[in-house]
Amino acid sequence: MADPHRQPPRFDALSHAEERPGIGASLTALLVETRSIMPAAGSTGLPLLLVVAAMCFLASLALGAALSVSDKTREWSADISGSLTVELRPSRDMEPEEQVDAVMTVLADVPGILTATPLRTEETIALLEPWLGKGLVTDDLPLPRLIDIRIDRESPPDLSALAIDIAAAAPGASLDTHRQWRGELLSAARSASWLAYGVLAVVAGTTIAIVIFATRAGLSANREVVEVLHLIGAKDGFIASEVQRHFLHLGLRGGFIGAAAGALAFLALGFAGGTGDMFLVAASGLAPEHYPALLAVPVAAALVTLTTARLTVLNTLERLL
Amino acid sequence: MIRFENVGMRYGMGPEVLRDVSFHLAPGSFHFLTGPSGAGKTSLLKLMFLANRPSRGLITMFGEDVATLPRAELPTMRRRIGVVFQEFRMLDHLTTYENVALPLKIQGRREESYRGDVEELLAWVGLGDRMNARPPTLSGGEKQRAAIARAVVAQPDLLLADEPTGNVDPEMGQRLLRLFIELNRLGTSVLIATHDRALVEAAGAPELVLRNGGLTIRG
Repeated sequence: MADPHRQPPRFDALSHAEERPGIGASLTALLVETRSIMPAAGSTGLPLLLVVAAMCFLASLALGAALSVSDKTREWSADISGSLTVELRPSRDMEPEEQVDAVMTVLADVPGILTATPLRTEETIALLEPWLGKGLVTDDLPLPRLIDIRIDRESPPDLSALAIDIAAAAPGASLDTHRQWRGELLSAARSASWLAYGVLAVVAGTTIAIVIFATRAGLSANREVVEVLHLIGAKDGFIASEVQRHFLHLGLRGGFIGAAAGALAFLALGFAGGTGDMFLVAASGLAPEHYPALLAVPVAAALVTLTTARLTVLNTLERLL
Repeated sequence: MIRFENVGMRYGMGPEVLRDVSFHLAPGSFHFLTGPSGAGKTSLLKLMFLANRPSRGLITMFGEDVATLPRAELPTMRRRIGVVFQEFRMLDHLTTYENVALPLKIQGRREESYRGDVEELLAWVGLGDRMNARPPTLSGGEKQRAAIARAVVAQPDLLLADEPTGNVDPEMGQRLLRLFIELNRLGTSVLIATHDRALVEAAGAPELVLRNGGLTIRG
């Protein structure tokens, strides 16, 4: 035991003005897991990390799918909107070659058309092969003739006037703008991306709910710590930042694990799926330029877990005097 | 500095544990709070360290009416009050040093600015070699001294202590009393709730006596 006659410590040496840590120090404290005044109970356990990682995996898949789909949509609409087709159904009033010549004459005078190429009969037969089979198209099967038109996308021709002119030029001639086909494709693609965003929203909502539960559980497990900090004059914001730090790390870690698993899944899909396309989603996996976008998942996860934990703590503390 | 006017307090729908309590503690004063067990000493202290609200009456602390003070202002006021809790309330996952440094840390102070002072204080209460021990490994007396060190480390304007010498030998009790007196000499108002007659007599300070929820002043 120390000497009872020793002088008490000089308290006047203890008074200092409040110091604010610099931005650098705050950032370091945010990113490097330092020891917190709040125990990590309930916020950094392995099960919770696994759940957050799984959520982030699902989010990566949904995000990847949304990106692939919108990519494909753009590709298709660019591809198709630059081209038109004239279909010439066989007519009793005119020979097929005459039909082609008549329409080509009309097309030659229309500004905004880059090229107009009549398809040869063999090419038309080749187009039908997938449906009718090889060598089954006989000469007596009346085949329509097709003219493939590339238009100048900068100054396209007036399509409705063109359609009237073409119909007038030859019996059985009609202009196919691919509009209906494109419209259906685009609306299917749009539904698919809405679905992907819907999945993202559900995943985010579930993560928020889980973090709220975990934060509340952590707070009630650490009730004594919270009360003592509160009674010795800690501000709500201080207690919240001690708690939210755990959740920031939880979100970052779970996010990286989930996004990495998602990236691996897309890579595996690429190897397994080869070059074929499944409906809408490219089975060849995610385009290389979209992989960096998956990094948004851990950032978003960290923001979601951090904000949710902070608001939950502030909300709980509000009930104390 | 601290003024209670006709303060009453009850827990929930229970009976009043404090009735018409009125007193005034001047800045730099030194008082004891005595009375039999269950007389309401701890309840009175809880009102003073802003853990509970009174059911009636007026409490003015540092010139502010506690009832009308916005919630956001309370932490600033709590930092002016050092509390030695009856059950110590140390944080078990932190070391003794970290526990004692806590009031400085929550003020946003850097560790370099207080480390030496905290170590000196710990050495003075006889915990110099227990700084890195965690509270569960401390004896009752050691915990009590750590709790006292935490209460005084930020040199508060008001020190409230609930049975601060209940678990220490008389020699250490006198030593802790000297710490309180030194703190008081530097301007801190001190209120010590105790059953320890020797402590009260050694200090010779006035007593607030609680009996059946009512308060009288002696000395």
